Amino acid sequence: MGLLIVGGGLAAQRCIEVLRAAGDDRAVTVVCAEPARPYDRPPLSKEGLLRPVDTAFRDEAWYREHDVELRLGVAARSLDAPARRVLLASGEPLRYDALLIATGAAARTLPGLPRARVLRTRRDAERLRARLADGRPLAVVGAGLIGLEAAASARALGAEVTVVEAAPRPLAGILGPRAGAWLMALHRAQGVVLRTGVTVERDRRDALVLSDGTRVPAVHVLAGVGVAPAAGWLAGSGLDPTGVRVDEAGRTGLPSVYAAGDVTGTGHWEAASRGGTAVARALLGRGRLPASPPSFWSDQHGVRLQCVGDPRGAREVLAYGDLASRCFELDHLQEGRTSAVLLAGRPPSALRAARARLTIPETTRRAA
Amino acid sequence: MSLIARIEDDLCLAHGDCEAVTPEAFRVDDVARVVGETTDERLRAAARACPAGAIVLYDADTGEEVEA
Repeated sequence: MGLLIVGGGLAAQRCIEVLRAAGDDRAVTVVCAEPARPYDRPPLSKEGLLRPVDTAFRDEAWYREHDVELRLGVAARSLDAPARRVLLASGEPLRYDALLIATGAAARTLPGLPRARVLRTRRDAERLRARLADGRPLAVVGAGLIGLEAAASARALGAEVTVVEAAPRPLAGILGPRAGAWLMALHRAQGVVLRTGVTVERDRRDALVLSDGTRVPAVHVLAGVGVAPAAGWLAGSGLDPTGVRVDEAGRTGLPSVYAAGDVTGTGHWEAASRGGTAVARALLGRGRLPASPPSFWSDQHGVRLQCVGDPRGAREVLAYGDLASRCFELDHLQEGRTSAVLLAGRPPSALRAARARLTIPETTRRAA
Repeated sequence: MSLIARIEDDLCLAHGDCEAVTPEAFRVDDVARVVGETTDERLRAAARACPAGAIVLYDADTGEEVEA
């Protein structure tokens, strides 16, 4: 009984950390399909491709000392909410007083390109790093955060790198045209070949044939085409198996069932951290955290990018600083207010000032 | 100059970079905390590493905020 956490990523770890730091000593069991202690993922596409890095949040002793039972390499099969019970893949039932669903997301794959690898887990990163060690060309399909960071890392290793993106510019889903053009120039200046507005037509062993008939070298292929919430095991539970909807406290609408992180469709590290914390606060009977704008960061070619707010749909973009440099800010304006700020190579004080410029929109998400 | 570091709890998302960069001065559990002393340069490095910009540095003599 006690708190059962299904999934062992950031959201799970944040929830445990906040509970234990508050002196809460309820029984906590973590069931995690991956056979590894909870670890941090952002380094995997950055320095994790350059050298082995240990990104585990805590050592084994910490979980013992904090009375947290880790059941690793154990997947959940289904949720029976009326019985307050999770069924494991082995058939073993686990009862709970409170349940946190934190099964994260799985990297999408490319159906027409089965040899393309994905980069989501520590094992994925280790395998990709081993492959890239031969110095042969890498093609990355998808110019999202993971694809671009992996491309930058592979370049740092000296590989010939091509990024193929169907949209007209990189990070098109989250950045506007100006930032996208700048990012494209940054990658090109570092020797990454960025092919936008094209798709992969055929796989030719050591090359990919694109929709415009050109070929790109591709001994190794990485698919960076987003993630999908790992919520399929919740089919039939009353929760949406394509992504669990939650309120600001992480409540799902089912009694004592919470969810946080990528399984709720949020998709960024900072949202998962906030989500895990929010659930711990709800379990502790504490008030909600003050509403906070969405945010993410990325490190590419030695430049730190930070974004607060939601830049999508901005009507106007004001640039402070020189976009030809690696140090500037882009204020995104929408309906007379600053909806997002993108910062490149700026100091911490600039990020705090950018946050202050944002007017936080009312959240419209509701429990399912 | 001698610097003092303070964590803005509202901004800290427990990324953990401060502890990774300057473990003698920072510890992260529910949020990051200042737990020890170090050189100004290592405090600056931790403040710059924080993706949330949650570490604020002050001049110990004047109390004024100092850029990392």
